[in-house]
Amino acid sequence: MSQGLGVTINRLPVKTWNWLGMNEAVLERGSITKEGRLNAEIPETVIFDTQKAAPALDKILTGMGDGIDTLFEEAQIPYRILRSTAGMKIEETARLRIASRGNEETLNRIGLFLEKDSEMTVVMDVSCMQEREKQAFAGFQTRIYAEENARLHLVQVQRLGEAFTCFNDVGIFCKEGAKVELLQLILGGGTNFYGARAELSGKESAWQSDIGYLLRGGQRLDMNYVALHEGKKTNSKISVSGVLRDRASKLFRGTIDFQTGCGGSEGEETEDVLLLDDTVVNRTIPLILCGEEDVQGNHGATIGRLDEKLLFYLQSRGICREEVYEMMARARIDALNARIPDAKVQAGVQSWLEGGNGDECQ
Amino acid sequence: MKEKTYVEDIGRSVYDIRNEEKDAYRVKEGLTAAIVEQISKEKKDPAWMQLFRLQSLQIYHEMEVPDWGPSLDGLNMDEIVTYVRPNTHMSAKWSEVPAEIKETFERLGIPQAERKSLAGVGAQYDSELVYHNVKAEVAEQGVVYTDLESALKGPYADMIRKHFMKLVTPRDHKFAALHGAVWSGGSFVYVPPGVSVEIPLQSYFRLNAPGAGQFEHTLIIVDEGAYLHFIEGCSAPKYNVANLHAGCVELYVGKNAKLRYSTIENWSKNMYNLNTKRAKVEEGGTMEWVSGSFGSHVSYLYPMTILNGEGSRMEFTGVTFAGKGQNLDTGAKVVHNAKRTASYMNTRSISKDGGISTFRSSVVVNNQAKKSKSAVSCQSLMLDSASRSDTIPAMDIRTQDADIGHEAKIGRISNEAVFYLMSRGISEEDARAMIVSGFADNVSKELPLEYAVEMNNLITLEMKGSIG
Repeated sequence: MSQGLGVTINRLPVKTWNWLGMNEAVLERGSITKEGRLNAEIPETVIFDTQKAAPALDKILTGMGDGIDTLFEEAQIPYRILRSTAGMKIEETARLRIASRGNEETLNRIGLFLEKDSEMTVVMDVSCMQEREKQAFAGFQTRIYAEENARLHLVQVQRLGEAFTCFNDVGIFCKEGAKVELLQLILGGGTNFYGARAELSGKESAWQSDIGYLLRGGQRLDMNYVALHEGKKTNSKISVSGVLRDRASKLFRGTIDFQTGCGGSEGEETEDVLLLDDTVVNRTIPLILCGEEDVQGNHGATIGRLDEKLLFYLQSRGICREEVYEMMARARIDALNARIPDAKVQAGVQSWLEGGNGDECQ
Repeated sequence: MKEKTYVEDIGRSVYDIRNEEKDAYRVKEGLTAAIVEQISKEKKDPAWMQLFRLQSLQIYHEMEVPDWGPSLDGLNMDEIVTYVRPNTHMSAKWSEVPAEIKETFERLGIPQAERKSLAGVGAQYDSELVYHNVKAEVAEQGVVYTDLESALKGPYADMIRKHFMKLVTPRDHKFAALHGAVWSGGSFVYVPPGVSVEIPLQSYFRLNAPGAGQFEHTLIIVDEGAYLHFIEGCSAPKYNVANLHAGCVELYVGKNAKLRYSTIENWSKNMYNLNTKRAKVEEGGTMEWVSGSFGSHVSYLYPMTILNGEGSRMEFTGVTFAGKGQNLDTGAKVVHNAKRTASYMNTRSISKDGGISTFRSSVVVNNQAKKSKSAVSCQSLMLDSASRSDTIPAMDIRTQDADIGHEAKIGRISNEAVFYLMSRGISEEDARAMIVSGFADNVSKELPLEYAVEMNNLITLEMKGSIG
């Protein structure tokens, strides 16, 4: 999958006009050989660091595509796997903290294996501890296997420095009745590539993803999210809400793919983008692919600036335009931050929004 | 589960009538410089056009077949005859058109429509126009409606040279280059400033020869403050070999002018329809596209509008009906290049009996297009699970100061709606046809009555036998 020094990633499941430049992205690769520092706080009932589930995880396709796998294979980065116990709802949150540093090139590979009828909450917090202004590369991959009726709540927060190139790749496989909720907050990183793909194989399985981003300066974000409906009465919801400031640029690819035989399934994509400066670039390509009659698929997008009436109202209350913009940007992130089941991470996000790097709260 | 029956081929008798091939001249199959030169010679092209054709051919050979969209594997250019001249010359008198060709167009209702509701008609048969006429009162207003070849050599020669393939250049894509090399036929319309053509003009394209291509070029210039409604119709009888349509439509809409371009495309189901349409709209101008795609084996059709002047706007209203053996990739493109521009796309797709329908679009709002608005709404209806329906809409927004909305929906006919109609004594087949017609009414209500009726008839024909 390599193209010269780059790896082709985030391929659109169905190509469109090449002149749009949306069909795929290229990730410039370094010579990465190192695993990123991972600090894990794992509940006693979660089994950690076993490679037993790796073969099942390996078969799961991810949002960024198989080009990413070659990076992990070449660098020989192993899975760090969290496995639930069948039939058990694990109340305590598993915390994975990855502390990257400037001037480093690292990869982390996480596996989450949910046994039948189990439930687990995992919070992954990626930040930069030192030398955040220095160029660096940090890549993450998470593969999730959910057995029958399993539930996973996965939160991923990224607060890297703007000199970082970052990728975050997710692959999900759901058996009957399994449900995965993915919440992602993308705040840092200079050049970001995100991808997620959920294969809803079992009847009544579901995937819900809520993605929030706040991009400023020259930050870039390239995304590819795919919900593959195979089982009957499966359900997917991809909800993206973001703010672009300064010269930031974003490309969102979202696909709901209804395969023949997935009767009774429903898929929904919603996107809400707030453009706060005139030099931002916002690109979106939401696909609905359908080979089944008995389905409902919807997509809705609202892209634009702040409502003039709202702006006028707030300005008439003595809040300057710049403050209003900041307030609105924060409000979007706050809405998702409030749902993170980890007070430390929440505080870190708040600190980040207030101009810190979020690490004071750790 | 109830079994669905299928009636193998519906009665397209009007469209499927084949005439014996009595062409006066045709080039050899395939595409070579010698063939292109031969076409140019036959058409007595000016020198610049001959050169243009050869340059286009070179570009054609340099460019790749699209790596996106439906497969074109069944199209072999070595087997396509690019120029077939019918055994007649163009006439402005219907009585002078050869009987067989005349009968074909009469069955299609063209002369009747001309008498009743059109300001002028052009009828193309294979590679050449066989009839072209414009009503005297319209011509008296200074409206020019003629075949492109005549215009190329007459008083409008400079205007043609200035505009021909400037909006759609041969470098646009491989089949635009092909068109540049072998184009033949088509119409030229010029509406002078301030003139409003109250009733529509129509061009009808009929491809009779099996294994042939049709490459007509339509060039319309609607000058400042003028108005025109242009209707395009096309059909062909069905053959077992591939036919190709790679036409090109270039539309120039002047300041505060308005152009409505309506198409009912009903090519036969062995046709590769690789048509390119583009409009450029100046300040305060309006471009309206109304498009019904029913025929063809494979279609690539995405009319593009460049909103170049402040306050210009476009509307695209389309319906696509893909049945058995059809892969129809349709949609629209718009580029907002100026302040306060507005675009609205409203499309419906219907897939049935293994048909594949794809809605593909792009909305590009450039940085200078402040205070622009764009809304896209696409809805798809799946009539069975043997079919496919995909939507691929792209948006590229490069200014903060724009309002962009997009919505897409996909689903099937509501059982409750069918049940309701059946409880009123309507058969299931009629109920479903009625619902599908209603689903497509975004297009039919935008067409003149006669064409809306024809479109509804087409839908009803397509729906026949789909219920068992």
